[in-house]
Amino acid sequence: MISVYYFGAISLILIGLYAVLVKKNVLKMLIGLSIMETGVNLLLVSVGYISGRSAPILSEGIGPNQAVDPIPQALVLTAIVIGVATTAMALSVAMIIYERYGTLNVEEIRRLRG
Amino acid sequence: MINELLIIIFAPLVAGVIAWALDIKGLRELIGIVGAAVPLAYLAKLYPTVISETVDYSLTISGFTLQFQLNTMTWYFATVASLVGIAMAFGMASTSKSSYDWLFALMSFTGVVGVFLSQDFISFFLLWELMTFASFMMVLRRNRHESLKYFVLSVIGAYAMLIAIGILYAKTGALDFESIRQAMYIDASLGTMSTRETVLVFALFLTAFGVKAGAVPLHVWAPGAYSETDQSYTTFFSGALSKAGAYGFLLLYILMGYKLYATLGTFHGHLTFAYIIAWMGAITVVVASFLAVLQEDIRKLFAYSSVGQVGYILLAFGVGSTLGLAGGLFHVLSHAVFKGLFWLVTAAIILQTGKTQFKDMGGLARKMPFTFAMGLIAVLSLAGIPPLAGFASKWLIYEAAIQAHMPLVAGAIFLGSGLAFAYVVRFLYSVWFGQRPSDLEDVKEAPLPLLIAMAILAIPNLVFGVAPGLVTEYLNKILGGEVVGGDYYRLVTPTGTYNALLVTIALVIGIAIAGLVYLYGARVRKIPVTNTYQSGNPVTEEFNLSIRRNFYRPLAEALEFWLKYSWDRFYERLAGLTEDFADSLRQAFYNGNVQSYSWYLAIVLLILALWGVL
Repeated sequence: MISVYYFGAISLILIGLYAVLVKKNVLKMLIGLSIMETGVNLLLVSVGYISGRSAPILSEGIGPNQAVDPIPQALVLTAIVIGVATTAMALSVAMIIYERYGTLNVEEIRRLRG
Repeated sequence: MINELLIIIFAPLVAGVIAWALDIKGLRELIGIVGAAVPLAYLAKLYPTVISETVDYSLTISGFTLQFQLNTMTWYFATVASLVGIAMAFGMASTSKSSYDWLFALMSFTGVVGVFLSQDFISFFLLWELMTFASFMMVLRRNRHESLKYFVLSVIGAYAMLIAIGILYAKTGALDFESIRQAMYIDASLGTMSTRETVLVFALFLTAFGVKAGAVPLHVWAPGAYSETDQSYTTFFSGALSKAGAYGFLLLYILMGYKLYATLGTFHGHLTFAYIIAWMGAITVVVASFLAVLQEDIRKLFAYSSVGQVGYILLAFGVGSTLGLAGGLFHVLSHAVFKGLFWLVTAAIILQTGKTQFKDMGGLARKMPFTFAMGLIAVLSLAGIPPLAGFASKWLIYEAAIQAHMPLVAGAIFLGSGLAFAYVVRFLYSVWFGQRPSDLEDVKEAPLPLLIAMAILAIPNLVFGVAPGLVTEYLNKILGGEVVGGDYYRLVTPTGTYNALLVTIALVIGIAIAGLVYLYGARVRKIPVTNTYQSGNPVTEEFNLSIRRNFYRPLAEALEFWLKYSWDRFYERLAGLTEDFADSLRQAFYNGNVQSYSWYLAIVLLILALWGVL
């Protein structure tokens, strides 16, 4: 029985991938990219989850044996920042594209570029 | 003290590099000639040693042991190459105007001699590639298209060889010839190498050496590459470099002859694998000779003729008897000297007139008498007129083919010889005789270095023609037995005898008698060339009496059907298709559409998922 987290995360990735592959609008593609990224982050976090344990913050009554795996959380923290940065950059590129070509349709842009 | 074998191999390359780096006119020619003369001097010095024992040398470079050996056979090939090499150097002193030529011409000299002396596949392949690269660079300077054609075919050949070497290495674990030979010999009875693998290795080697030898259908590079380079260099290109292919076939015999016999068996009493080589040679002889006859360009004519003559060597090797090998080896020498001479004569003509087409030439015999005499020796030798080297070698090949009961193959040689006559007559007629075009009035004799070069190659033609025993005696040493008997002047095979001295004497006496008849005949009066028979009509200078175009038109018309099929066009079309395919591939995949790159990613992910990685 596949975990609901895994299922959800992979579904999010696939939905994002679908948007990237099929949608013609650059903004929609970027939304797809964002969704995909969320899915990846969710997947990473859920990999580190150990049933019944709490957050990996050492405090009263919570030792290393009671915490979930901290490494994916550190990874995801990094990944979120990277994701935001790439999204911001891609959005600025999208703005420039719109200024240049007056459209956000990828096929149109290809045609206009020649 | 540097080893003598290393000097023999690398002296030309070193001289070439020095000549290229200094680039002082006069000095670079001198250095080049000295560099080309060194191998011949050392080979002559080592001759007494070689006939009793082998001279070995090996050095280890980056984990590979490179082995070189001078034995009776490698000495023979290296000497032939060096002889042609020194003639090339003298010729280039006249014809070449740049140090670039010297660098690469001498580099290919090193490559060829190195290929002949190598005793393991590492050095063999390295020097083979050096030879290919240097000759490619020589052609590249003058014609990009032809050089690329040569390069692509050579690369196909070289990498076919690399694959074959890889298979042999995987099967035997050895790279040196001696170990491979022994392993293949033992494997003939063990049969660990399956029939299919043996055939594959054989076919790959056939491709590799067939390209260099110019065997039909892998000959298409030859006409272009032989023409579009310095003609003095072509002396070496066609005289020595094409012998690397012939040597390769011999190597095939040495390495896996018995294994191939054990695997492929015999076909109507002939060794099957040798029979294939013989037919390759026979087809090459016929096709190339027909094409040579129909050429309108002096360089193209000799290029096709060169291909055809190397076909004789393959054919002789393919006969499979020791007599065949003797004939082939003899023809290696005689083809090198007469075809080398032909290219030097061509170099002289092109240097002095600046023209290459037959239609622009004529009546040069009076202007360049020495060159004409040299050209005549080459013509007589190629066509196989008795007291010259070409006759002795062709005679041996005939004897071998007849003795081996190969009537069709012998017929191919016969046809090839007839056609050879036809194209050298064309050369004699269009270049030397007849009316001289007015723009050739101030043509002078070829420069001295070129004349020396011609003399270097003309002397062996005469000496080995009158005394073919000098060569066959040595060939007997290579082949380890009394294959061709007789003495210096007589060749004795199991089915015939050829006495060169007697023929020479008879010829000289005959010419003397004819000369007497001529001298004591009617009074001789010199008349101008235009004062001639023209159905009784007067002829002026403006009237062109010599047939300079389409000399063999009826032959071309008779062959019309066959000439429709051209390997040249086939390869051009293949190249065009490949180019189109590559172009459409590029446009289809590298299309600038962001989403298709995403799709590639998705597809790879899907494959990984299906594979079970994800």
